[in-house]
Amino acid sequence: MKEKTITRRDFLRVTAGTAMAATLGSGILGEARAEPTAKVALIRNAGVLGPQDKVQEEILKSMLDEAVKSLLGTDKAMEAWKKLFKSSDIVGIKSNEWQKLPTPKELEAAIKRRLLDVGVAEKNIDIDDRGVLNNPIFLNATALVNVRPLRTHHWAGVGTCLKNYIQFVPNRPDYHEEGCSPLGKIWTYPIVKGKTRLNILSALTPQFYGRGANFFDKRYVWPYKGLIVGTDPVAVDAIGAHLLQVKRTGFFGEERALDVPPIHIMVADKKYHLGVSDLSRIQLIKLGWMEEVLI
Amino acid sequence: MSTVAEIARGEEKVKMSREIFPPSEVGGWKWDGKEMRYNSKTLFSYIDGAAELYLAYGFQNLAVRRFEKSNQPPILLELYEMASSEDAYGVFSFEHQDEAVGIGQGSEFGGGLLRFWKGKYFVSIYAEGEGAETESGILKVGRAAANSIPAVGPEPKLVGFIPGKDLGLVDKSLRYLKSHVLLNQRFFIAHQNILNLSRKTEAVLAQYLQGEQKTQLLLIRYPDSKEAADAYRSFMKVYLPDVRGMDRARTEDRKWTFARQRNEFILIVFGAPTEADAEVLLKATEEKLPGGR
Repeated sequence: MKEKTITRRDFLRVTAGTAMAATLGSGILGEARAEPTAKVALIRNAGVLGPQDKVQEEILKSMLDEAVKSLLGTDKAMEAWKKLFKSSDIVGIKSNEWQKLPTPKELEAAIKRRLLDVGVAEKNIDIDDRGVLNNPIFLNATALVNVRPLRTHHWAGVGTCLKNYIQFVPNRPDYHEEGCSPLGKIWTYPIVKGKTRLNILSALTPQFYGRGANFFDKRYVWPYKGLIVGTDPVAVDAIGAHLLQVKRTGFFGEERALDVPPIHIMVADKKYHLGVSDLSRIQLIKLGWMEEVLI
Repeated sequence: MSTVAEIARGEEKVKMSREIFPPSEVGGWKWDGKEMRYNSKTLFSYIDGAAELYLAYGFQNLAVRRFEKSNQPPILLELYEMASSEDAYGVFSFEHQDEAVGIGQGSEFGGGLLRFWKGKYFVSIYAEGEGAETESGILKVGRAAANSIPAVGPEPKLVGFIPGKDLGLVDKSLRYLKSHVLLNQRFFIAHQNILNLSRKTEAVLAQYLQGEQKTQLLLIRYPDSKEAADAYRSFMKVYLPDVRGMDRARTEDRKWTFARQRNEFILIVFGAPTEADAEVLLKATEEKLPGGR
């Protein structure tokens, strides 16, 4: 059967009269809806960054625990972690090592600590980014944790959780076509399909603006001091993209669209059915420090 | 011991026109003596995630030099050789958003990044840090690099067919495009190549402010009118299947999309607030095309 062509008009239909780029900027779910919804936790703590933005490990651990607990609806954090992982799991923590804004080591360590606490053997846990295709833990993984910083991206609009799995394919340029819309396809491949138990965007110091592939300027990074956590990668990404757009508007004093519309987030929803991209169907659980929360 | 630059000069695979020798010292910023070279096969290793942009514009090769000054972050000079001056213009236009600084044939400087084009070269210069002295250094290195490029080249002729500010053209909104991937990056139309864009075609996307609403004008030139007709049919079938022989539709956002073929050209207006707004923009463009109306 011939594949249906997704056009701009499909997005216009979905957003019922708003511009496609604004899809991710529409209202977040306020009350229960009949359609399938997703839940995302946003937790912030004013003390998580010390001098020179040094990550305060204990505070970060407690933020992660609180987010996972709220997400899973348990009384205790470890109950939530045990709902997500089994002691028999082989777990790959897919991180991001972009040198200018990598996943904080403290966040990787906090995740690993909780996996160990669940009872996962240390030999069955590894953290990797660009080497996942040659890493036996990732090749044999029964579970994945997807963790990376939130930032704008030259080619995909936003560098978020869906984009983070690009390292699971050898022919990465093939997934940059069509507005990076095929990124969701990667999630259907056996090496990752159905394995991702948790998606975490580090929004401790998100980058909200950039020019070109290698560009990084501290003026466009701000201490948001947050984590965005969910089991639905599309919903987590939609919240992350929304946050970046709101920050850009506030910073520049005008609506400044992302360099590239994050089409891949919507395509991951509408075509690959990986989760919920429509903000009006995402329940955002906001926890902790609320000053300048923006969303 | 050979420097990277010496090794690169000895290679046959990565050739750069040898008339281009960026300066080795400018305003106290010294080249560290090394030059990294990339061709179309190795470009991904330097800019994984964005090489397609340059490849779509006929990328030939890239030379990267680093300039250092004590107590200052290093400055990186990227010199991209493209297939033509039109291609260099295209790379520049694709991300153009900041104010010009009078370097090369077209330039912008903002957020610590200098971008300009001259002849068939596109140049990007930025620092691995910030500060007033660094920004001054970036501009000095940029001017010297531009001076080292001897030849200028023409802008794409297609750009000249686009109506101007009298119709509300938004400053710095012109994008000269060579592929549907790039078009989608700037204005998503369809995830498949329904306008049959390729290296043989060229397109200009421009934004207009009509009232308080943003309208997009897309002008495409095909090698001949037959290819334009094929592409027009493809577009109408997928994007405007419900118009029954008309050239327009009010889309789901309650705005107007118009599409017309004129010889080897296709003109499309997206998001016009009214039919009249779309008509004005199309008519002005048609009058500028070869032969006018």
